[in-house]
Amino acid sequence: MSDAAVTTKVPVATSASGRLFRGQTAIDFYGRRKFGIAISILLIVATVVSLGSRGLNLGIDFEGGTSWDIPASDFTVDEADAVLADLAIDTEGSRIQSRNSDAGSFLKVQVRSLTDAQASAVRAALADAAGLNVDVINVNVVSASWGSDITNKALRALIIFLVVVAIFISLRFEWRMALAAIIAMLHDVVISVGLYSIFGFVVTPATVIAFLTILGYSLYDTIVVFDRVRENETRFTTTRIPFGDVTNVSMNQVLMRSANTSISSVLPVIALLVVGAGIFHASTLSEFAVALLLGMLTGTYSSIFVAAPMLAALKNRAEPWQRAKGRVVTGADLRELVLGGAPKSRRSRDGEGNTAHDASPSDDATAILQHAPRPRKRRRR
Amino acid sequence: MSSRRLWIGLLAFVAIVATLLIANVATGNRPILGLDLQGGVSVILQSTDEASADDLLVVQDLIRDELETLGIAEPDVRVEGTNIVVDLPGVKDQAQALDAVDVAGIVTLRPVYACQAGVTPADIGDLLPDGQFALITSDGMQTCVVGAPGGTGEVFSRGSAQAQINQLTNSWIVSVDLKAENQAEWNALAAQCYSGTDVCPSRQLAIVLDDIIQSAPTVNQPSFTTGVEISGAFTEDEVRSLARVLNRGAFPVDVEAQRVETVSATAGADSLRAVFIAGAVGLVVMLLYLIAYYRTIAAVIVFGLSVWGALVFSLAALVSKATNYALSLAGITGIIVAIGVTVDSYLVLFERLKDEVRSGRSPRNAAPRSFQSTWRTIVSADLVSILASAILFWLSVGSVKGFALYLGLTTLCDLIVCWFFTRPATILFARRSTYASGKLLGLEATR
Repeated sequence: MSDAAVTTKVPVATSASGRLFRGQTAIDFYGRRKFGIAISILLIVATVVSLGSRGLNLGIDFEGGTSWDIPASDFTVDEADAVLADLAIDTEGSRIQSRNSDAGSFLKVQVRSLTDAQASAVRAALADAAGLNVDVINVNVVSASWGSDITNKALRALIIFLVVVAIFISLRFEWRMALAAIIAMLHDVVISVGLYSIFGFVVTPATVIAFLTILGYSLYDTIVVFDRVRENETRFTTTRIPFGDVTNVSMNQVLMRSANTSISSVLPVIALLVVGAGIFHASTLSEFAVALLLGMLTGTYSSIFVAAPMLAALKNRAEPWQRAKGRVVTGADLRELVLGGAPKSRRSRDGEGNTAHDASPSDDATAILQHAPRPRKRRRR
Repeated sequence: MSSRRLWIGLLAFVAIVATLLIANVATGNRPILGLDLQGGVSVILQSTDEASADDLLVVQDLIRDELETLGIAEPDVRVEGTNIVVDLPGVKDQAQALDAVDVAGIVTLRPVYACQAGVTPADIGDLLPDGQFALITSDGMQTCVVGAPGGTGEVFSRGSAQAQINQLTNSWIVSVDLKAENQAEWNALAAQCYSGTDVCPSRQLAIVLDDIIQSAPTVNQPSFTTGVEISGAFTEDEVRSLARVLNRGAFPVDVEAQRVETVSATAGADSLRAVFIAGAVGLVVMLLYLIAYYRTIAAVIVFGLSVWGALVFSLAALVSKATNYALSLAGITGIIVAIGVTVDSYLVLFERLKDEVRSGRSPRNAAPRSFQSTWRTIVSADLVSILASAILFWLSVGSVKGFALYLGLTTLCDLIVCWFFTRPATILFARRSTYASGKLLGLEATR
C-alpha cells in the first residue's frame, strides 16, 4: 500500500484523450502561465485600442434614432424590413412594430440615426412600397429608451455587488482568492466588451444582459476551481511543496469538469447561433449568442489561465508557501500528485523510518478526513 | 440514511414539483412574455404646456421610475418627437394601461385663505376674486380657497419623502428634504404663512396635485434648513400616499395621455420559435454528449434537468404573475445559459465520484462523500450568483432588474433540485448492485 498502488491501480493511459478521460493528466499549467498572461494582455490591449479608436456601436435603445409611421394596415413588418434591406440600412437593433388604436392601425419603423439624405430616401421608399403619399408618413426623432439613469443604477449595483462578493469570498475562502476571482471576472467582461468593439457588433439591451450573464458565469466557474484549490491547499499545507504544485494539481483535477461544463454550456448557445440565426435569421439572437459564446469561453479560460496563476503569485508571497522548497514538479511526479500521492521529497524521508502514509501526510485534522481512501485490497475479494 | 427514506424524499419532491407544474398549466398560468416577444399596450403621452426636449427627457426618466415603484416592470419609455411613448409589457387592456401611466402631475404649493366643510368648489368658484381658487381636499370633505402657486414640488429633493413614525408623539409624519438651491423659495412661502399675512391668513400651506389638495399643513416655524416634517392626525395610508405625491411632484411639465395603441411583438413569433427549437436542439445534443460520457448515471442528469425545468417554469409563472416581470428574449436565452450552469452541478459531482471510485472506494460508499464535498462547492458558487441577482434586483431598474430576477430564480432552483433530487437520486443509483461494480459513470473503460 505505497503510493505506487495508487498509480498502478488504473494504468496511465497512453493517449492524451485517455488520460483526460481517466483524470490522469499532468499538464504543467503553472509553468505555462506566461502564455496565458501574454494572450490576456494582448486581448486587453486590443480592447483598449479598439474602445479608444472605434468605441462601441450602440443600438437605438442607447442612442435614439429616427421613426417613421406608415398608416397602412396592409403594410407588413416583413415588407418594411425588405425596404430597409434594399436601401442597405443597418437594421441591427431596429424596431418594427404594428400598432393599433381606435384611430386605425399603422406600422412604426424605428432605426438608428441616419443622415438626412438616407432618412428622406427611407421615407420615400417606405411610401412607395406601401403605396402612399410621402406626406402621410410621419417622421420623428426618437430618444434613447435606455437612459443614463438605467446605466448609472446598474453600475452602482455592480460596484456594490463587487464589494459584497469580495467580502463573501474573503470570508468563505480568503481575500487572495477574492482578488484573483474578481480580476478574472473583470478580464472576461473587458474582453467581451472589446470583442464587441473590435467586430463592431451593435450593443442592445440584450447585449448588456449577455455581459452580465458572462460576469456571473465567470465568477461561478472560478469559484468551482478555487474550491478545489482550497481543498488541495489543506492537503499539502505541511509538505513545503511550492504553491505552483498545488495549482497544477488542482487544475488537472478539475480539467475534465471544466471541459465538460464548457461543452455542456456552449452546446445550447451554439445551437442558438446555428438554428436561431442560421435557419431562422433572428439577428437579435445571433449577436446575443456570439456574446455569450465568447464570454463563456473566456470565462472558462480565465479561471485556469488568469485566476489560478494570479492566486499562485499572491500565495507564493504568503505563509506557509513562502517557505516552500524546491521546484514545481512536472511530468510523472505531477501525475502522482494529481492522482492523490504524496510529494516525493517528503515520501523519501518518510520511507526511512515511518510507516508510509497512503495519502496526505498532513496532520491537519480535516486533511486526514478528506484524504484519498485506502486502495481496495483486491486479493481478499 | 436508509434507502427507504431517500426514496420517500425523492418521490415527495418530484410529486410537489409535478403538482406545481400541473396546477400552473391547468390554470393557464404562464410567465408573461416581454414586449419583444408578445407585444403589449402602448400609451402616447403629450405635455400640456410647451416643453423643451430636456424637460421631456426628465419626464421620461420620472415616468419610468414611477412605473417601476408601482410594480409595472420593464416599461419601455422613450421620447418620440414631442410625445412620450410608454410601452407596457404584460398589460392586457387599455383602461389598465391608462391607469398605470397616470403617474405624471405637478405638485404646487399654495397658501390657504380658508377652508370649509360641506361646500364644493363649484359652489363658490365663481364668487372668488382673481388669483384665488377653490379646491377640494383629497378626502372630499372640505373645500379650501387657495392663492396662486408659490412654488412647485421641485423645491423638494426627489425621492426624499418618507413616511415615518415620530418617536415622541408616536404618530405618523412625512419627512422630506429641501433642495439646497430651492430652500429660499420654500422659506419665503413658509415665512409668509407662519406670520399669517394677508395672502396666507389661515397659516396653512396646501400641497396640491391635479387641483386636489393632498394636505394643508399649518406652518409651525418661520424658516427651515434642510428638511420639512409634516405632522397631523394621519393614518399610515394617508402618510404613505402623501409621501408618494411629494416624491413624484418634481415633474417639470404635466403630461396627459393622448391615445392608447396595441403594439405587436418586435422580435416576433419567429424569434420565440427559434429560441425554443434552438434550445431544444442544444439540450438534446448536450444530453447525448453527457449520456455518451457518463453512461447510465446520465439518467440522473436527464431527470434532474426535467425537474429543474418544471420548477423554473412554475416559479417563473408565479413570480411574473405576482411582480409583472416579463420574460423577454434575453431572459429566455438567459435561462438556456442557466442550463449549462445547472448541468455543472452534476459534472462536479460525477467527476468527484469518479475520482473516489478510481482511488478504490465502492460507488456505494463514494456517493454520499462525493455529494458532501460537491454540495459545499456548489453552495459557494451559487451563493455568488444569488448575491449578484439580489443586489442587481434591489438596486437596478429596467431589463437589468428582470435579468436579475430570472438569474436568481434559476440558481435557486439549481440548489433546490441539487439537494432534494440529485442527492437522493445519486446515492440510490450508486447503491444499485448492478451498477456498484464500476459500470457506473462510464468507468468500465478504465478497467
